[in-house]
Amino acid sequence: MTPSELDILWLSTQVGICCVVLSLPFAMVLGWLLARFDFPGKSLVDGLCHLPLVLPPVVTGYVLLTVFGRRGPVGSILESTLGIHLAFDWKGAVLASAVVGFPLMLRAIRQGIEAVDPRLEGAARTLGATPLRAILGVTLRLAAPAIGIGCLLSFARSLGEFGATVTFASNIPGETQTLPLAIFSFLNQPDGDGAAARLVIVSVVLSFITILASNRLGSSLRTDR
Amino acid sequence: MLSIDLSKRFGDFELEVSVTCPYPVTAIFGPSGSGKTSLLNLIAGLVRPDCGRVLLDDRTLVDVSLKEFVPPEERRVGYVFQDALLFPHLTVQGNLSFADGLRKRESRISFDQIVTLLELSPLLDRLPGRLSGGEKQRVALGRALVSSPDLLLLDEPLSSLDIGLQSRILPYLRHVRDSLKIPMIYVSHSVAEILQLTGQVIILKEGKVLASGDFFDLASKPDVLPLLGDFGFENVLKVDVVENRPAEGVSLVDYRGQGLKIPHADLTVGGSLFLGIRANDVILAHSQPEGLSIRNSLQGIVADIQDVNGMKMVSVDVGKRLLVEVTSEAVHELGLSRGQTVYCLIKAHSIRVT
Repeated sequence: MTPSELDILWLSTQVGICCVVLSLPFAMVLGWLLARFDFPGKSLVDGLCHLPLVLPPVVTGYVLLTVFGRRGPVGSILESTLGIHLAFDWKGAVLASAVVGFPLMLRAIRQGIEAVDPRLEGAARTLGATPLRAILGVTLRLAAPAIGIGCLLSFARSLGEFGATVTFASNIPGETQTLPLAIFSFLNQPDGDGAAARLVIVSVVLSFITILASNRLGSSLRTDR
Repeated sequence: MLSIDLSKRFGDFELEVSVTCPYPVTAIFGPSGSGKTSLLNLIAGLVRPDCGRVLLDDRTLVDVSLKEFVPPEERRVGYVFQDALLFPHLTVQGNLSFADGLRKRESRISFDQIVTLLELSPLLDRLPGRLSGGEKQRVALGRALVSSPDLLLLDEPLSSLDIGLQSRILPYLRHVRDSLKIPMIYVSHSVAEILQLTGQVIILKEGKVLASGDFFDLASKPDVLPLLGDFGFENVLKVDVVENRPAEGVSLVDYRGQGLKIPHADLTVGGSLFLGIRANDVILAHSQPEGLSIRNSLQGIVADIQDVNGMKMVSVDVGKRLLVEVTSEAVHELGLSRGQTVYCLIKAHSIRVT
């Protein structure tokens, strides 16, 4: 692999990790709320969170551009207050893949929390644990393998994300050009076949490692109970 | 003493309880759906009452009118759940020491003392998934004790175990009662189980207290007896072991001066144990019979006769009350009446050693 191809791999990994870090707190809180409580508008929230799973990624990218773009309602505020601009930036690639991967992560975490007997929290409380400690030490600890699976799914989805990224963050080499975008670009170049093939192999290997890791977590989820 | 005076609505079901639970052990008895577990959850603070209060000795645990609510982690009320609810990701050791570091004061009972008392040392490294039902309940009991509670709540801790295991766990509970002196509220729908721990009972039905006080005083009440009958009432007698006779296949025990033969078990002579005798396994005779294969007869005086679900429940005073279920026809033919001397005949093999 050439140094520029390694850079592409490194950028993709960075975007993937940031995407997981960005989604995780939201997915944990939402997953816990959806798993443990009934509240008005619950199915609406659930539906909205799952929307990116079924929307064409290009549409997701377009919506992101409208909301988080320079002239978008949120994007303009972010730019004027924090000086952050997301569109056509690697941070935009992170946001795009985080949104697209969010339903996968949320689903895994929610199911993991649902599988933990809520009465265990009560048991921990009677033994002297504060509510926060009972949630962290018992519920989230028991759901940890599922949370891990959620992270891997989100990471894997980020590695494969194309449509929303190209629409929202564009295809800028060294900035927003992640693996799939680079493969697409190389395929469109007359002499890019070799580079494309190498990146395809890297993609396959990375995805395979992710699947193995998630299977491993899945089996630890079963033996724990 | 624990005093409860509260109400709580759960959908269509309303729990309304005003009662005091004396120490050391009060049993809450009632059919399923009578609100027993809900009441424990209210005492533990896992559920908030709609109105009313719960006082433990001089401490207020909850008082709705004063807007006081002590959260469960500050109540010092231990809870042994029906299905143990051990933390599946922690070993027995981890489960037992979960309360360590969460407790705000020195434990009155040391960890080692609990491990010894409940014979948990061989289990310490195991995960709950690898424990039997009886072992799980022992660990759950130990885990609650490590938190050094002022009161221990037990929610049908034996109901998931078979009879043999139940009788192996009960001695541990008696140990807790006698050597650790922790007051207990014991929920069960088995009279036999309750009577091995206490005579003080609260009877719940459809969310209300039907009666409370000494079991044998309550048992003769016409509205209480049918409840007991529903479960196939089992008498419990505390007896002393006199002699083992393996050759005859029996052991001799003494019940308040009257001898009984029970199926042979290698018992400690001089020790005491509990016998379970079902009300419908006892035969009544107005004189000491001859020419019968039945060897056991307890002499007593008829104290009361009640109608229960079309049968007659005869309460015979044999030192304590023994309830005997017979048909109305039998009562009529024997001419049974209060104050009459009768003999209660019991087959050795219908006696359950618990």
